[in-house]
Amino acid sequence: SGELYCSLLNPRNVRFESINMKNVLHWSAPEGTGNGVLYKVKYSVYGVGKWIRKAECRNINRTWCDLSSETSDYEDQYYASVKAFLNGMFSDWVETTRFNPLTDTKIDPPMVSVSSTDRSISIILTAPEKWKRSPEEESISLLQVYPGLQYNVSVLNKKTKKRWFFSVSNHTLVVPWLEPETAYCVSAQIHVTTPLLDSGFSKEYCIATLKDK
Amino acid sequence: EEALLPAPQNISILSTNMKHFLTWSPVIIQGETVRYSVEFQGEYERVYANESWIPISECSLITATACNITEDISATVAYNLRVRADLGARRSEWGTLKGFFNRNTTSLTPPVMKVIADGYHLLLELEDMGPAFQFRVLYWKKGQERRMQQKVVKEVSSVVHLDTMEAGAEYCVKAQSYVEDINRSSSFSQTQCVRAQGDTSMWL
Amino acid sequence: TAGNKILHFGACRVSVSMAEIRVGFTAIKANIQARDPIRTLSILSYPHSLHKVNSSDRCCITHHLFNFYVDKVFKHCKTEDSYVNRKISSIANSFLSMKRKLEQCHEQNRCECGRESTEKFKQILANYEGLNVTSAAMKSLGELDILLDWME
Repeated sequence: SGELYCSLLNPRNVRFESINMKNVLHWSAPEGTGNGVLYKVKYSVYGVGKWIRKAECRNINRTWCDLSSETSDYEDQYYASVKAFLNGMFSDWVETTRFNPLTDTKIDPPMVSVSSTDRSISIILTAPEKWKRSPEEESISLLQVYPGLQYNVSVLNKKTKKRWFFSVSNHTLVVPWLEPETAYCVSAQIHVTTPLLDSGFSKEYCIATLKDK
Repeated sequence: EEALLPAPQNISILSTNMKHFLTWSPVIIQGETVRYSVEFQGEYERVYANESWIPISECSLITATACNITEDISATVAYNLRVRADLGARRSEWGTLKGFFNRNTTSLTPPVMKVIADGYHLLLELEDMGPAFQFRVLYWKKGQERRMQQKVVKEVSSVVHLDTMEAGAEYCVKAQSYVEDINRSSSFSQTQCVRAQGDTSMWL
Repeated sequence: TAGNKILHFGACRVSVSMAEIRVGFTAIKANIQARDPIRTLSILSYPHSLHKVNSSDRCCITHHLFNFYVDKVFKHCKTEDSYVNRKISSIANSFLSMKRKLEQCHEQNRCECGRESTEKFKQILANYEGLNVTSAAMKSLGELDILLDWME
């Protein structure tokens, strides 16, 4: 006898969102469905093609799933797929486009620390780290992943409102011959030429030069 | 049979600072609007793809007599270019550019720049000439031309910090644009000089 | 920003407009990869990843791959989309330019071909010939980021 076949609309906008290679699969619920929809997730390595179920994302009601661990080798590319089900109905598997962690990740701004003397400010820049499974795991700086990484640094003189730009490859910058007792605000951006990856500018870190000795 | 439309003539390239334009003389048909279509053929198409031609959609059936081909001339190889005219059902033969065009023949102009002294700091504002451009900047303390210093500026965001200056001293700067993709530079800009803040106590 | 790079392939140094090629490929990557439904096979990555090639063999493998893309791949990637075709032409002509530069070095015998690179390239050809021409060409073009990542 014909089996009653009801299908659920598909999850929408299935894609990876990646920051510093923390690679999280995101999607939107099928149109018109309220609460109660559950999902399951699978992923595959491009070229190997075997779909592997992500156990921690089985029967979940949230619309994201962290696949950072499964996609941590950035020499590979990946696909992921999501299926929705509700009251015995289920959708098709909906896939992402091919995900390349090396080119498809976004990079956070660098950390900026500033110190000052009466006539200079010293800026130390630290590139963010690649996502890692646990705090105990060895840290990998994005500098190692993107050897051509550079920093664009902006220095704003709060008194004159003039902003200067520096482009540096190493992680320290000293700006000498400044005005004593003057506030300077520093922000920095990471710039990788190929693949073309720019972080946003960090927030501004302001510091005043000391009184003239 | 209707007379064949004459092919566009005087086809030439205007290429400055890696912006490339194909231009041609209008085909004049009294009281009518003639339209033109442009195609290009890279060395790859000529040698490996049966001499195929590729249409430029932004310059298909246009009334202008110029086409910006910059985006399609994106490799340093020899390109062929051609244009034809259309008027209703009538169509001309292709008019083809005489000789090839290679972007390494583009003419490069020195950058527009402004040198600024801000206290003891030597700063430079440079015109943004496009993603293919870098700038070779030479600067020196006036009178010490032999101790000229060089800086390559790749990011033209706004005011670029060149160096710090000795109090009261005059510094001069000149710059040339450089395009890595074709490994060529412009001539140098006019030299501009500025004077550092004059407080010599800085040096005691 | 200008993204020319001097890439080192063994004893050979080649100045490459990497940024231009990357911009061209990124513009059509989703379109091209969507035309390749086969997940279970990769032309460049499996069974042996490019990343496992010895540095001494880099020059030879790169020489082979430039020829592979110029001779076999780009010409079979014509699509119905004029914009995609223009970007493919841009990449193909850039590859032709790179191929010429590496060829000069290859002819000066500074680009030796060891057993591993020969085996590796044979594997790539076998993967390619395992599919019909259009599918193989489109899959190879869709894997251009794998090649560019490895080259850099």
